[in-house]
Amino acid sequence: MNLLPGKYRYVPVLAMVFFGVAAFTPILNEPGLQQTFAVAFLFAALALTYDLLLGFTGLLSFGHALYYAAGAYGAAYAMARWDWGIIPAGIFAMVFATLIALFTGATALRVKGIAFAMVTLAFAEAGHVIAVLNMWGLSNGDQTLQLNFDSVPDFFLGVNNTRNLYLLALVTLILIYVAVWWLTQSSMGRVLQALRDNEERVSVLGLKPFNFKLIAFVLAGVMAAFVGVIAVIVTNNANPVMGSTQTTISLLLMVILGGIATRWGAVIGGLIYVVLSQRLTTLDTQGALSGLPEWIGGPMSEPAFILGVIFILVVMFSPGGIAGALYRLRMKFGSSVK
Amino acid sequence: MEIFITLFITGFGLGALYFLVASGLSLIYGLMGVLNFAHGAFLTAGAYATWYFTTSIRADGSLSSYVISLFIAGVVGALFAVATEQILIKYLYDRHIDQALVTVGLGFVATSAYLGWFGSDPLIVLPPTQLYNTVQIGDAFVGIDRFLYIGVAALVLIANFLMMRYTRIGLIIRAGVENRSMVTALGIDVRKAFTFVFFIGGFAAGLGGALATTYASGVGPTLGDAFLIYAFITVVIGGMGSVPGTAIAAIVVGTTQVLVNYYVQGLGDFVVVMLLALVLLVRPQGLLGKVAH
Amino acid sequence: MTSNAAIRVSDLSLAIGGAKIVDGVTLEVKPGELLGVIGPNGAGKTSLFNLISGLRPATRGNIYLGDDDITNESPASRASKGLGRTFQTSSVFTLLPVLENVRLAAEAAMGGSMKITRRAYSFKPAIAKAEEALNAVGLSDKRFTPAGALSHGDKRRLEIAIVLASDAKVVMLDEPMAGMSVENVPVLTEIIRSLSRDYGRTVLMVEHHMHVVLGLADRIAVMHQGELLICADPQTVISDPTVQSAYLGESL
Ligand SMILES: Nc1ncnc2c1ncn2[C@@H]1O[C@H](COP(=O)(O)OP(=O)(O)OP(=O)(O)O)[C@@H](O)[C@H]1O
Ligand SMILES: [Mg+2]
Repeated sequence: MNLLPGKYRYVPVLAMVFFGVAAFTPILNEPGLQQTFAVAFLFAALALTYDLLLGFTGLLSFGHALYYAAGAYGAAYAMARWDWGIIPAGIFAMVFATLIALFTGATALRVKGIAFAMVTLAFAEAGHVIAVLNMWGLSNGDQTLQLNFDSVPDFFLGVNNTRNLYLLALVTLILIYVAVWWLTQSSMGRVLQALRDNEERVSVLGLKPFNFKLIAFVLAGVMAAFVGVIAVIVTNNANPVMGSTQTTISLLLMVILGGIATRWGAVIGGLIYVVLSQRLTTLDTQGALSGLPEWIGGPMSEPAFILGVIFILVVMFSPGGIAGALYRLRMKFGSSVK
Repeated sequence: MEIFITLFITGFGLGALYFLVASGLSLIYGLMGVLNFAHGAFLTAGAYATWYFTTSIRADGSLSSYVISLFIAGVVGALFAVATEQILIKYLYDRHIDQALVTVGLGFVATSAYLGWFGSDPLIVLPPTQLYNTVQIGDAFVGIDRFLYIGVAALVLIANFLMMRYTRIGLIIRAGVENRSMVTALGIDVRKAFTFVFFIGGFAAGLGGALATTYASGVGPTLGDAFLIYAFITVVIGGMGSVPGTAIAAIVVGTTQVLVNYYVQGLGDFVVVMLLALVLLVRPQGLLGKVAH
Repeated sequence: MTSNAAIRVSDLSLAIGGAKIVDGVTLEVKPGELLGVIGPNGAGKTSLFNLISGLRPATRGNIYLGDDDITNESPASRASKGLGRTFQTSSVFTLLPVLENVRLAAEAAMGGSMKITRRAYSFKPAIAKAEEALNAVGLSDKRFTPAGALSHGDKRRLEIAIVLASDAKVVMLDEPMAGMSVENVPVLTEIIRSLSRDYGRTVLMVEHHMHVVLGLADRIAVMHQGELLICADPQTVISDPTVQSAYLGESL
């Protein structure tokens, strides 16, 4: 499924160029804003990897955050405890995450649908517990595992270099976007989309559904781990929240909000989600909610509350999210679709 | 040996709490195919109801206040659950994934609403002094509250059994779990049963929430989320749709978790997850689950 | 033991919870033959196909593709050995375009579907094969329509195109005419005939339209309550008294 007709194909490219250039202009010059957007880009990238599972393969996983966290912790650990440079640490983290994804994926994929969702949830929770409780001294618990500043080049360090972090995150998003785009256009990617539609049909074509689903699962996991490695550089630490169910659920929210199986829907969902969460918090601190009674003002000051409500409304009234809504608008006003 | 007895009964008690959450989850899933991610929010609602009642309405710390608060928590959980079914789930019939997603959203919204209303710090709920007593078994001393959890869960299990066996709605639920289309084809309105399982599931969860304030010495916005994950594990291990299976699985999960956690903090949670993986490898439909079609 | 059958089942049985759904079916189909499978509703025809294609494991008995015992193989490996099928209720990839549905089958048969490195549309042989199959069933002009948006009749054609492109030596068609409008039946009949005559496929076809079966089949197998009553040429079958009693009330 591709909702973008030919003439809109260049829009994502233009958007990325815009964001790249904007960082050098007054529009996006402020380090605080750049940091917000850097985080937003990383979450957009993560949402894309999640969409590869949910939208393009039809796998509803509640444990995707595990691989993000494995990437982050793997890299942070190798840098902090072994004094490795960022490159070998990053490679180590991705190998580490691959092994975990292989094992957990192969087990979880023995069941389908909702049971699969629960099993992935349980695996992620196990990882989360290790991180929270600092089991075997691996994670430093709630203190977070700090980035070893000796392991990364100087131009990624300090407030003066926030723009470089911003660009690093943007490049990460572009890389993931291209990778997901490539995957979904590839021969294998088409099998994944066929699986999403009808698994039995795929098996009588002579293709083993399990193998393909496992490949998708592991690839999505490895890409999430890559984002995790970059996140350590951008946010300077690996922390337990990264592996929490909350993180996976926010990815789910992003993808559904933006529209599944469209790629750019996940990106928009991710950007909106992160930017809105941050802005809504400032809304509260600026006193915009002070006129409201406490029983409604309290929840309204939690960005998650508003995002959750929007999410419920989207699921109930606008299947396909923002992308689906745009698509319906276009159909309604009759612009030609190939 | 003493320590083993203490741990075992504590784990049994925790398992009883899991059962209270998981039995509703299992029935809702078995009957309607809805994985209810908002179930933890029902539990938390019950827990806050207990907190409110025992600190603001009848703060005398008496056993009777506590018992009343249990009941109120159950009702709050049940009302929350019924509202969920009537306002959200009902309009998404046969859109199973969307139903699950809506409950995810609701859980998300509820957790942040609790956060906005009650703050992130846990609120202390003091149980009546009688529950601080211990019982001696052999050489071991076991907190009496553990037996309360087990007793309440046992009551719920028995009530469940009697209802399933001897009432019309119970019959419809049992038949519906086996084969929903058949029941509908017989001209029976399953939708009432849908509302009903949400009611009893929500009641059990609210009750579990009230007891959880004693187990966890208080209530915070994410109390239910913590229980929900292990309740999910319990449901999968027990076999979705099977209440007896859920009961057995709850005991296994609770005792394993507590026993292992005593020796290595956190390892118990880990072992439980591995147990889930093991069960799935050997018996994908769970202990007492029907074979998936 | 070797035989020259394209597909052979012996004592094939399926029991679900004590009910005998398929009961001791023994049958062989010669290469290039078109076998009609008939029987009243619930006779076990679809279940027989499910057993042969591996979607359900057999309780008893064996299945041979050529000389190869495939009884314990997965649906996918049976398919990759040349066993193809359609489903009683249309089963296509609804969100994918028509061409993509067929291209996937062609590429799977050519063993290229694992490739991550290749763009789906840059593998020309699979496209060519898919186009050819679409041409054969008359769906070429709808190649970019999402399969879910096709009319019922077109979906059935698409399913035939899929088995055609998949190079399956043995093809099982489960009620290909079900729900087709009257004017479409002769067209589809010709497509199925050419499947066996022009493409040399061995065809097993479940069908309720008797005149279609009688016009197409080399031999007819009759199932009743899970058992195979008879398997013989059309004339013998329609004059057989057990068949008539099995169908009591339904005209042949
Ligand atoms: N999973 C199952 N569980 C229980 N019974 C089943 C199952 N699948 C099929 N049956 C039963 O097996 C019998 C044979 O079914 P099958 O679908 O093979 O019949 P059929 O000959 O294809 O009928 P039709 O002409 O209606 O398609 C039916 O009575 C059906 O109810
Ligand atoms: Mg049939």
